[in-house]
Amino acid sequence: MSTTRTRHWRREKFLPYLLLAPALVLLAGMIYPFALGLYYSFTSYWLQYPNRFRFVWLDNYVNLMEEPLFVRALEFTLGFTLAAVVIQVGLGLGVALFLHGRVPGRSVLRALMLLPLMIPPVITALMWKIMMASTNAGILNYMLSFIGIDPVNWFGSINGAIASVLIIDTWGNLPFVALILLGGLQALPTEPYEAARVDGAGPVDILRYVTLPLLSPFIVLVVLFRTMDSLRIFDVIYATTAGGPNDATTNLHIMAYQYSFQWYQMGKGMAQAIVLLLLVVVVSYLLMRLWNRASESTS
Amino acid sequence: MTSQAVPYPRSVAAVPYRRTVQNVAIAAAAVLLLVWTVFPFFWILLTSLKSPGDMLSVPPKFVFTPTIDNYAALVIGEQRGQYSSTRPDFPLFFLNSMIISLGAVALSVLAGIPAAYALARFTFPMKNGLAFILMSFRFVPFIAFVIPLYILYQRVGLYNTHAGLIFAYQLITLPFTIWMLRSFFMEIPLEIQEAAKIDGCSWFGVLAKVILPLSMPGIAVTVILGFMFCWNAFNYPLMLAGRQTFPVTVGAIQFISYEQVLWGQMAAATIVAALPQLVLSLMVQKYIVRGLTMGAVK
Repeated sequence: MSTTRTRHWRREKFLPYLLLAPALVLLAGMIYPFALGLYYSFTSYWLQYPNRFRFVWLDNYVNLMEEPLFVRALEFTLGFTLAAVVIQVGLGLGVALFLHGRVPGRSVLRALMLLPLMIPPVITALMWKIMMASTNAGILNYMLSFIGIDPVNWFGSINGAIASVLIIDTWGNLPFVALILLGGLQALPTEPYEAARVDGAGPVDILRYVTLPLLSPFIVLVVLFRTMDSLRIFDVIYATTAGGPNDATTNLHIMAYQYSFQWYQMGKGMAQAIVLLLLVVVVSYLLMRLWNRASESTS
Repeated sequence: MTSQAVPYPRSVAAVPYRRTVQNVAIAAAAVLLLVWTVFPFFWILLTSLKSPGDMLSVPPKFVFTPTIDNYAALVIGEQRGQYSSTRPDFPLFFLNSMIISLGAVALSVLAGIPAAYALARFTFPMKNGLAFILMSFRFVPFIAFVIPLYILYQRVGLYNTHAGLIFAYQLITLPFTIWMLRSFFMEIPLEIQEAAKIDGCSWFGVLAKVILPLSMPGIAVTVILGFMFCWNAFNYPLMLAGRQTFPVTVGAIQFISYEQVLWGQMAAATIVAALPQLVLSLMVQKYIVRGLTMGAVK
């Protein structure tokens, strides 16, 4: 008995690696193409002109800085992310606080909110594309006419295109924010609330000094996830505006796609993909540090 | 206004009045949230049942004679009336979605169970680093993998194959599966495992007789959510699949061409593409938040 047990423990030294082996093989299978892509980002790889393949060092990256479209795409990526996160976290917090109170049909509302969240984002985009048809047959423009808003050229005008991408992304992801924050609200301890009420605090003071500080780890987590997903948003833009009009909704992801799969300049496209990746890494590192600080301060 | 007309002291009369206002406001907000969430589904369902003539009517019609022509066009590839469909292959797209999603999830679960067991129950060097690398795949921009995968797949013949897509989808499912299973495995009390060890169970015995049976619901949830994430995937198949292997997500945008948009059939296609997700998400609704945050929020 005791001998089998000691042999058992000795073997456990290598066992974790053995158990991880299949997953590590798959992981290596993902890292290899990525490493290859990183190499291509330093080359002039153009699929249609294989003879021009050269190692060009940092040319692709340096040329990006001189490319006006890149600067605009970078601006749109950051601006869209900021707008989407502020709108979705703000509204999501409102919806979470609302559903945390006494609301008729609360559990039904909660279940229904899962539906926009879990259908494919590209399908969400197509659904709104139908509703946002700029002809008078589009239901959204028809409904807006009742509150005195003139028909909006949703995908054809610059402001309309930016607004439509924001609206569609918000419809799909507001439930994510709301449901996580609602879960956070329901998990909060009750003692601080009782103490605040004894001290005579009003609802606004309770929200400001009790709820929000206690909820901050959840808020930071939601901001983290939404920021990461907004920086690399692709499906919704591709299926609605395709980056237009006049490249107004072209973000880095769409731009990298256009360079590599419309013009087949794989080297340049990959350099843009790496820039986007670096942006995501830097932002996620900063937000993760914020998250650690937020969860430390409350626990 | 009414509260001022009542001869009672203000405070007594104002309370029921204020409560009514509050209730009306809450009900209005609830209705607004309901309409915002559900109306798009309702409208697309209506659109999918319209004939081309009703579709383009101004103002939009809420009452019309429903037709299943758009759905018939998806399945058998022809439609009576003004438009003819050029997309008889939607059933194939649906089948492709099934094959790729099920294949990707099966591969991830097979590789993920032992890996999650190792991460949940063993200590070894580099453990946290490895878990972090896996987590970071959740945030990687797809294009950084798709470009080299496209080039590689063209060379080795995996382009436009189910196997190639199943492998590419591991970027979506494998990190997710490992993190989810790890969080479920860690919920099983350590005492049960130690008791099994004392009874002479090997690591395999502990896994097969303790961990797996006790986390069956967790595994089921992981499989369903992993399937749903695969079903939602658009970016990988857009560039790595061809007409024979398109899933429903890429299939649905085929109704947009330079000449025209087949609105009715596109609406029917979005309904068909979303349907499995609507059913499955109600099945696993308690776990969706946990799945979307890879176990970070329970």
